[in-house]
Amino acid sequence: MRSFDVSDCHVLVIGSGGAGVRAAIEASPHGETVLLSKTLTGKGGCTTMAEGGYNAVLRAQDSSTCHFEDTMKGGAFLNDPALVSALVDEAPARVSDLLRWGAVFDVNDSAEVAQRPFGGQRFPRTCYAGDRTGHEMIRTLTEHLATTNVNVVEEVAAISLLSGNGRVCGAAGLDQKGELRLFSADATVLATGGGTRVYDVSTNSSSGTGDGYAMAYEAGATLIDMEQVQFHPTGAVYPYDARGRLVTEAVRGEGGVLRNGAGERFMARYDPDRMELSTRDVVARAIATEVQEGRGTPRGGVWLDVTHLPPEVIEARLPVMLEQFLKFGVDIRSEPMEVAPTAHHLMGGVQISPSAATCLPGLFACGEVAGGVHGANRLGGNALADTQVFGRRAGDSAGRSEKRVVQIDRAQVEVIETRLNRLYEGECDPANVRRTLQQAMWHNVGIFRTEEGLKLALAEVCSLSNLQLKARTALQLAECRTVQNMCTTASLIVRAALLRPESRGAHVRRDITQNWDATSSPYGHTFISTAREGIDVRGSAT
Amino acid sequence: MKTIIAKVSRFDPGRDEAPHLHDYTVEVYEGARVLHVLHAIHDTIDPSISYRYCCGSGQCGSCAVRVDGEPVLACMEEARDGMTVQPLDLPVVRDLTTDLAPTLRSVPFLAPRGDAIVLPCEVVEEIKPLRSCIECLACVSVCPAMKVTSFTGPTAMRQEMRLTLDPRDTRDRIEEAVAAGLFTCTSCQACWKACPKEIAIPGKAIERLRAYASTRGFTLPRHREVAALIRETGRSVTRTAPGFLEEVPIDNPPKIRERGVVGFFVGCMYNLRLPAAARDAMEVLSRNGIRVVIPPTQVCCGSPLIRTGQTEFLATLKERNIDAFVTRGISRVMTMCAGCGTTLKNDYSTPFEVLDINEVLTEHDIEPPAHLFLRVTYHDPCHLLRGQGIRNQPRALITQVADLVEIPAICCGSGGGVKSGNPDEAAALGSRRGEAIAASGAEAVISSCPFCEFHISGHTDRPVENIASLLLKGYRTADERKGGR
Repeated sequence: MRSFDVSDCHVLVIGSGGAGVRAAIEASPHGETVLLSKTLTGKGGCTTMAEGGYNAVLRAQDSSTCHFEDTMKGGAFLNDPALVSALVDEAPARVSDLLRWGAVFDVNDSAEVAQRPFGGQRFPRTCYAGDRTGHEMIRTLTEHLATTNVNVVEEVAAISLLSGNGRVCGAAGLDQKGELRLFSADATVLATGGGTRVYDVSTNSSSGTGDGYAMAYEAGATLIDMEQVQFHPTGAVYPYDARGRLVTEAVRGEGGVLRNGAGERFMARYDPDRMELSTRDVVARAIATEVQEGRGTPRGGVWLDVTHLPPEVIEARLPVMLEQFLKFGVDIRSEPMEVAPTAHHLMGGVQISPSAATCLPGLFACGEVAGGVHGANRLGGNALADTQVFGRRAGDSAGRSEKRVVQIDRAQVEVIETRLNRLYEGECDPANVRRTLQQAMWHNVGIFRTEEGLKLALAEVCSLSNLQLKARTALQLAECRTVQNMCTTASLIVRAALLRPESRGAHVRRDITQNWDATSSPYGHTFISTAREGIDVRGSAT
Repeated sequence: MKTIIAKVSRFDPGRDEAPHLHDYTVEVYEGARVLHVLHAIHDTIDPSISYRYCCGSGQCGSCAVRVDGEPVLACMEEARDGMTVQPLDLPVVRDLTTDLAPTLRSVPFLAPRGDAIVLPCEVVEEIKPLRSCIECLACVSVCPAMKVTSFTGPTAMRQEMRLTLDPRDTRDRIEEAVAAGLFTCTSCQACWKACPKEIAIPGKAIERLRAYASTRGFTLPRHREVAALIRETGRSVTRTAPGFLEEVPIDNPPKIRERGVVGFFVGCMYNLRLPAAARDAMEVLSRNGIRVVIPPTQVCCGSPLIRTGQTEFLATLKERNIDAFVTRGISRVMTMCAGCGTTLKNDYSTPFEVLDINEVLTEHDIEPPAHLFLRVTYHDPCHLLRGQGIRNQPRALITQVADLVEIPAICCGSGGGVKSGNPDEAAALGSRRGEAIAASGAEAVISSCPFCEFHISGHTDRPVENIASLLLKGYRTADERKGGR
C-alpha cells in the first residue's frame, strides 16, 4: 500500500454554501480549519441561487413566538421544536453578523432592513436583497471568510467520511485530477447541502446531489424524515433542458398571481384565505392538480403573472427574474411566466441536536443536509436563516471539540481505494444511470405518492445501485461516486416514504385515507440508519 | 429535439501542445443553452470533456466561456448550430475550464469596522449596481490592460468602488485602487460589454474612483497638465498651427442638392492635430449633399477630464458646447471623433440629436466611390464600437472602396488617458495592434477615431487613414477614371 498524504486540521468543514462558510468562520478561531469545497467557494451550493429572502423577527410588531408558530404550522408540526426555537431566536442576530460583515440588504424608508411577505407567515418578515438575497449573503460570507485563517481547499469532492475509535475523524475526497485526498480532523462539519438533483426536475445547482446524506448514512448516522421533499410550486418549464429553474416565491410575495390555462385564479379553490401566499406544499399540489386535470398551459404548467405591477417595481424587486426570463424570450413586465412544480428542498436529513451534533461523535451537520428544522414543509425564507443559525452552531460546536491525535485507519482507506478502483472495471455509463434514477424518482416519488409507485421506485433504485459504474478516466471517478451517492440518497427518500403511512406536509400518500390532521397525527419522525429504520409513534418509545 | 453541431475547444495539458477544436453533433431540446450542448456531449459522446457549471441559472458565474469569440454564460446563452465554444481568454486548466482562483483571490474584501449598521437607502441604491457581480471573470478575460501591465482588473475595481461607498469599511480604497492600477484602464469598455450582468464598470467604478483619486491628489501629473490646458484654452491639445476651426467657414453648403444639415462637433484632435482628415470629411459630406454648420465657439467635449476623474470644469464645457449648437438652431450634431461622440451621447444630456459621421453617411446611399484595388483592415475604435454601438456602418462604407480583412476588436491603448499617463502600456497595446495588422496582410489600416489613428500610426509600417480620407480617395479615383475616359 502506498503512503497517503493526509492533511490534518482541527475542524474540517465539508461544503462551501451558506452553512459551510458560516461554520468555517465560526470554527476558525478555535484552531486550524479546512473548508473543503466541491466547487469554487461561493459558486456551488444553493445559497448563491437563493433568491427570495431570509426570515428574521426584526420589528416590535412581530415576535419570535409568531415565527415559531408559523414555522411549526408550516412544517405540519413534524419539526423538532428545540431546533425551531433556535432558528427563530437566533435568526435576527445572524442578520446582524451579515450586516457587520458588509451585507447590502434592501432597506425601507425608515432605514430598517426591508421585509416582504412570504407564504405561510402572518408577518412580512422576509429580509431581502432584491431577488438575489442568497447571492448577497454568499458574497458577504466569502468576503468575510477571506479575513479569517480558514484554509480553503477548492474543487475537491468529498466522497467518504473517515472514522476511528468510534468517532468521525475526517473525510476522503477526490481532486480535479481524480487523486484521492485525505483530511483528518478532531471534528467534521457536514454542510453539503441538499439532494433534489435526484429528481428529473429540480431547482438545485449541480452540487445538490445528496452526497452528504449518503456519506453520513454510510458512516452510521441517523437520518430523519427523508420522505419530506419540498416541491417548489414555481419552477420554469421552458427551455426544456433548463426545466425546474427556480422562479422565486418573491414573485408571489410581491403580488404575482397564479392562473390556469383557462385564466382562472385557481388558488381560490385550494386556499381562499391565503391564495398565492399559501404554503409551498399547498400551492405545489394545487398547480400539479390543475395540470393533471387538464387545466394547464400548453407546456404543462400554469401562468404566474406580475404584469399588473408597475414595471419599475418589477425592475427593482425582481431584477434576476426579469433578466432570466428576458434571456428566454419572455418579458415578465408584459407577459406571464409559465411555471410548474420542481423538486427544491429536502426537509429531512441527518438528525441533529440544537448544537448541531449528530448521533456520531465528531460529526456535526448544518444547513439542508441536516433534518428536523423544517418538519414536513419548509417556509420560504427559513432556509437561508437555517444556514446561518445552524452554520454558526455547528462551527462553534466543532471548534470547541477536544483536540486529539487523529490516526487515519489504513484499512478504511484501502476500502475506499478498492471501491474507486472497481469503477475502472465497471460497465455502466454513470450519465445513463443518473437519468434513469431521476425519471424513476420524478414519476413515482413526486408530489403525489402511492405504495405501489414507491415500491416500483425502490426496486428501480436498488437495481441501479447494484450496477457497476464505469469510470473511463480518473477524472470521472468523482462523477461515478456522485451518481452512487444519488442512488443512496434516493433510496433513503423512498424507504422513508414507505415508512410514513400518512399524508403529512409535503408527503402525500394518495392511497391512504386518514382521520387525523397534522396536529393529531399519531406519527413523529421517520428514521433510517444502517442499523435500524422506522417511524416514531406518539406515546411509544423508539 | 433538434441537432446542433458545435466546435468545442479541447486541451489536455498532459498531452496536447495547444488547444484544438473538435466537432460534435448532439441532440438537444428547443431553446437549449450552450451548457446543455456541453452536457449532451458529456453524457452521450465524451465524458472526459471538462467544463465548469453550478447553478444553471446565471447566478454563480461558474460557466463563462467564449461562444464565437464572445464571452457568455454557457447556462444562459442559447446554443446555435455551428457555434464555436472556447474557454475564456485566461490560463486554461483543461478544455473549457480556466484557472479563476488567482484572480478571485485578488478581488479586495471588506475590512469591517464591526458595527451591524443598516446602510441608508441612498447608499444601498448606489452600491447595488456594483453588487450584482457573479465573478464569472468575463471582464477580466477581455481586459487589454491586464495583458500588458500590472492591473488587478475590472471586477477588482468594481469592488474597490463598492467598498469606497460603504461606511462599514475601514481601508483606504482609493490609495489601494491607485496602487492596483486604477490609471491603467484605457476606458475601452470591453469589460462592460462582456459582463453578463451589464455592470458599467468604466463609468460606474473606474471613472468614479479616479474622481475620488483626483480629490486626493493622486491624479497623474500628465493628466493634471491636460486639465490645466483645457481650463486655460478650452482645448485638450496645444495649438501648434492654426486649427481647422479657424480656417473653415461657419456655414458650408454642399456642392450638390442639399439632402440634410448637421452641426459639426470637431473635437480637439481633428481641430489641432489631424485637420486634414476633417477637411477630407467635409468634402465627402459636401459631395453627398450634407450641409455642415461649424459653430466656432465649441470647445473640448471634456472627455479627457471625465476619463481621468477631473470633473470640476466639466459643467462649463458642457454648457458652452450645448450653447454653441443650440444658439444656431441645430437639431442634429455630427461627431467625427469617436471619443467626442461617446461623450456627447453618454455623458451629456443634449437638447439635440448626436450622430457619428458613420451614421450620417449611411443614412442614405452615398455617391458611389471607385473601388480601389486595396486590401485594408479596420480598427474598431472602442468609443465607436462599444461606446456607441457602431459596428456595421464603417464596414458598409469601407467595403465600397476597398477589400476588408477583419482583425479582432481590441483596444489600441490610446484611450482613458493611458497614452499620456502610462506611455509604456499604451505602446505595448499599440505594438499588439501592429502585430495583428501585420498578420492580417492588410496594406492599410482604416479607423474612425483620431486617437486610434494617431497612436496606431506609431506602431505599424502600414499607412493609417481615417475612413473619410479613404472615401475621398475613392471619389478622386472615380473622378480620374471618369476624366480619363
